[in-house]
Amino acid sequence: MSFTLRSVKVPPNSVSLQEARSRTFDFFRSACRSIPSVMEIYNLHDVATPSQLRSTIASEIRKNAHITNPKVIDMLLFKAMEELNNIVEHAKQRHHIIGQYVIGRGGLVQDLGTKDQGISNFLKNFYDSNYF
Amino acid sequence: MGLGLLASRALRSSRIFTSPNPRNAIVRTIVSTPELHNPEAAAAAQAQPDPPPTDLPGRTSVGGARVHFPNPEDAIEVFVDGYPVKIPKGMTVLQACEVAGVDIPRFCYHSRLSIAGNCRMCLVEVEKSPKPVASCAMPALPGMKIKTDTPVAKKAREGVMEFLLMNHPLDCPICDQGGECDLQDQSMAFGSDRGRFTEMKRSVVDKNLGPLVKTVMTRCIQCTRCVRFATEVAGVQDLGMLGRGSGEEIGTYVERLMTSELSGNVIDICPVGALTSKPFAFKARNWELKGTESIDVTDAVGSNIRIDSRGPEVMRILPRLNEDINEEWISDKTRFCYDGLKRQRLNDPMIRGADGRFKTVSWRDALAVVAEVAHQVKPEEIVGIAGQLSDAESMMVLKDFLNKMGSNNVWSEGNGMHPNADLRSGHLLNSTMSGLEKADIFLLVGTQPRVEAAMVNARIRKTVRATQAKVGYIGPATDFNYDHQHLGTGPQTLIEIAEGRHSFCSALLNAKNPAIIVGAGIFERNDKDAIFSAVETIAKHGKIIRRDWNGLNVLLLNAAQAAALDLGLVPESGKSIESAKFLYLMGADDVNLEKLPSDAFVVYQGHHGDRNVYRANVIFPAAAFSEKEGTYENTEGRAQQTLPAVPTVGDSRDDWKIIRALSEVAGIWLPYDTLSAVRSRIRTVAPNLLHMDETEPATFSALLKPEFCQKMSLTPFGAAVENFYMTDSITRASKIMAQCSALLSKK
Repeated sequence: MSFTLRSVKVPPNSVSLQEARSRTFDFFRSACRSIPSVMEIYNLHDVATPSQLRSTIASEIRKNAHITNPKVIDMLLFKAMEELNNIVEHAKQRHHIIGQYVIGRGGLVQDLGTKDQGISNFLKNFYDSNYF
Repeated sequence: MGLGLLASRALRSSRIFTSPNPRNAIVRTIVSTPELHNPEAAAAAQAQPDPPPTDLPGRTSVGGARVHFPNPEDAIEVFVDGYPVKIPKGMTVLQACEVAGVDIPRFCYHSRLSIAGNCRMCLVEVEKSPKPVASCAMPALPGMKIKTDTPVAKKAREGVMEFLLMNHPLDCPICDQGGECDLQDQSMAFGSDRGRFTEMKRSVVDKNLGPLVKTVMTRCIQCTRCVRFATEVAGVQDLGMLGRGSGEEIGTYVERLMTSELSGNVIDICPVGALTSKPFAFKARNWELKGTESIDVTDAVGSNIRIDSRGPEVMRILPRLNEDINEEWISDKTRFCYDGLKRQRLNDPMIRGADGRFKTVSWRDALAVVAEVAHQVKPEEIVGIAGQLSDAESMMVLKDFLNKMGSNNVWSEGNGMHPNADLRSGHLLNSTMSGLEKADIFLLVGTQPRVEAAMVNARIRKTVRATQAKVGYIGPATDFNYDHQHLGTGPQTLIEIAEGRHSFCSALLNAKNPAIIVGAGIFERNDKDAIFSAVETIAKHGKIIRRDWNGLNVLLLNAAQAAALDLGLVPESGKSIESAKFLYLMGADDVNLEKLPSDAFVVYQGHHGDRNVYRANVIFPAAAFSEKEGTYENTEGRAQQTLPAVPTVGDSRDDWKIIRALSEVAGIWLPYDTLSAVRSRIRTVAPNLLHMDETEPATFSALLKPEFCQKMSLTPFGAAVENFYMTDSITRASKIMAQCSALLSKK
C-alpha cells in the first residue's frame, strides 16, 4: 500500500470548520467523479446505478454529520480518501463493494416489519436468537 | 531385569573409567536440599528448647472439614507440628493431620476405600518412634506428637518419590493425566530433581478393560486403589494384583472386560495416568477446559456432575462431591453419555411436507403452522406429554399452555396413566439416599436398582457391606452385587408378605429400620394401586413409617418424574392418546404411539432425532440439559439446577421459550418472559422446586391413603430398564453407550 501513500500528500489541518466543510464537499465531488470508473472496474452495472452509489456515499458522509471538531473531520476525510484510493486502484474485489456499498449494512434479508407488528419483545427476540 | 542390571553395571563401570573426576559421581546425591544431607544432625540443630505454647489458635482443617464426635468421651488429643487437636478415637494419624490442617501427600490412601498402606508416601515422623511411620495406616494414640515437616519426613518422602519414579515412564507430554496427575504434582512438591536409577524401566503389558477405561499399565505405581474400588464399592471381583516384587501388576485375572456400571470411577481415583478415559484419550488437556457445575439427568438420582467443555463441545463429564447423593462416584452412563450430545441433534425447525420428508423452515412459519392446527381441534383432543429429560420450568409452561388451550391431558412419560400426585410420599424415596445407610433390612419390590439407579445401588451395597443388612428381592431374576434373597417374581410373594405368611416377615418385623423400595416400573401396571396398597399393608405391620424413620420408598426412573408429579402433570383421562388429534411431545420418546389415530397432528419438541420424531409432523429443536438452565427434582425430592455449559446447537431454543413463543402466536399469551418469572409461577404450584439443593420431605405419609380394593393381577413384575446403557434420547444417540451395551450388557 506504500505506493499509494507516497502519492497521497497529507494536507495541513483545516483551520476552521468552514475549511473542513469545503474539503468534505471536495471529497464528495471527487468520489462522485470516480463512480463511472468504479462501476466499470467492478462491473456493477447490473447491481447498482450511479445515483444509488452517490446516495450511499452521501449517507456515509451524513453518518458523521454531528461531528464539529475540524481535526476529527480531517481524520475522517483522510480515511475516506484512503478508502476511495483503494477502490479506484482495484485493491478491493467485487464482493467487497457489493457488500459494503450496494447491499449496505442492513444485510440481504430486509425485514420490512409488516409481519412483526403487534408482537411482544419476547417473540421478536425469540425469532432472533436463543440468548436474550 | 537381568538386562537392566547388566546395562546398569556396564554404565557404572564405564562411568568410573571415563569420568575424569570420579569423586563427583559419589558426591552426587538424591537429596537436593543441603540441610537434608544429614537429617538427624539437622533435626538436633532445629530442635530448640522451644516448648509449643499451650494455647495456640486453632488451625483450619483441610477443606474446612468438620469432625463429628460420635461419643464425646472418646476424644483424644494429639499434637501435629506442635498444635494440639482433638480427634475421636480410632482416627488415623493422617486423618488427625487433616483435622489440624496439614495435607499429607498420599497415593494409595483414599478416604472411601480400605487402607492399604503400600505406597509409603504418607510417611511422617512420630516422636519416640524409631522410624517414620505410614500415617494412613497408623492409628492416632493419645498424646502422640506428630511431625510432618521435619527433615526426616521430608527425606523419607523424597526417597519414596525416587523409588516410585524408578519405573514410571517419563511420558507426561503424551499422558492424558498430565496436568491433573497426583504423581506429577507430588514429585514437583516433594520429590528430588534427579534420580539415581540408571537401569532400564520395567514395562507392563496393557490390559483391555473394555470400551471405557484405557490402560497404560507401565505407568501404574501399584497403589491398588482401583482393585479396592472394584471389590469394595463396585462389588465386582474383576481387578486384582498379580505377581510379586518388581513383577507386580494390576490385571484382570483372565482375559476379560471390567463389567461394572461404576467402572468409570477408577479413572478418577487412579493417581497416575495408568487408567484414563478411553473416549477422552488425546482429546484435550485439562487446563483448556471450562468446568460447569451441573446435574446429571440420565436417571432419577440427579448425580452432581461437572461438565468440562471446550468452546461449543462437551469434552467430558466428571463427578462432583455430594455426600447426600452420589458421594464422589457417578455411573458409567452419566460419565460417558456426552458423545450423544453431538450426534442425531435436531438443529432447525422442520415441517413434514406432502411427500413425507422434513423440510427446514423458519421459526416464524413453524410456530404459525402449529398454532393454526392447535386451534382447529377440539380442546379435549389436545394432549401434551413431557419427556423424561424435561426440566420443571418447561413442564410448568407446557401445562399452563395446554390448560389455557382448554385441555388437561398433560403428563410426563413413565408416570403411568393414573399417577398418584396427591401425596408426595407416594412417589419419593422418603428415607433419602444417605438415610438408606441406616436401614438394616431392604425389601426391593419390582426394582433392579443396579440398572435403574446405580448410585442408589451403591448406597445399598455400602450398607450391606458395613452392617450385613439383609436384602429381599421380588422381581424377575437379575444380578446383584451384594448378598440378597430372591423371594419371588411377582405379586404373589408380595401378598404372602402382606398377609404375614412369608418367612421374610419375621426378619422384617425384627428389624429396627426396615426399608421397602418400590420400583417406578410398577407405575405402568394397571394394578399399581393394588400393589401399592399391599406394600402399605406391609409398611403398617412392620412399623416402617414412624416419626423418626420413613422406610417406604419409591425409586423413580427418570429425571423429570418427581417434578412432573409435584407440578401436577396428571392426565385427565386414561384414554387420551386414543382420541388425540393434536399431540405435543416435549422430548417424549418412550411413550407408545401405536394407538394414536393416524390423522393426529404430532409436534415434537426436543433435542434428538429419536424414536417419536418418525411420527412427528412438526419438529421444534430444543436445548439439551448441557445447554440450558433448568430445575430437576431427584427421586428423594431434592431440587437441583443444571447450568448451561455449551451454547445451543443450530437454531434451537430453550424448551420453555418455545412454548411461550407458541402461546403468543396462538393468541393466548402466557404471562412470563423470563426464567425468573416462570419460577415465580412455579412458586405458586410447587414452592419446594425453588429450594435448591434441599430435600423437601413429604408432609403426609402414604398411610393416609384411603383403603383401596382392587384385584391384583398375578403377572410377574417386569424389568423397567432393559438396557442400562441406553435409556433416553441422549444415551441412545451415543456411540460409546452403543459399544458398552454391545460388549458389557449381561446377556
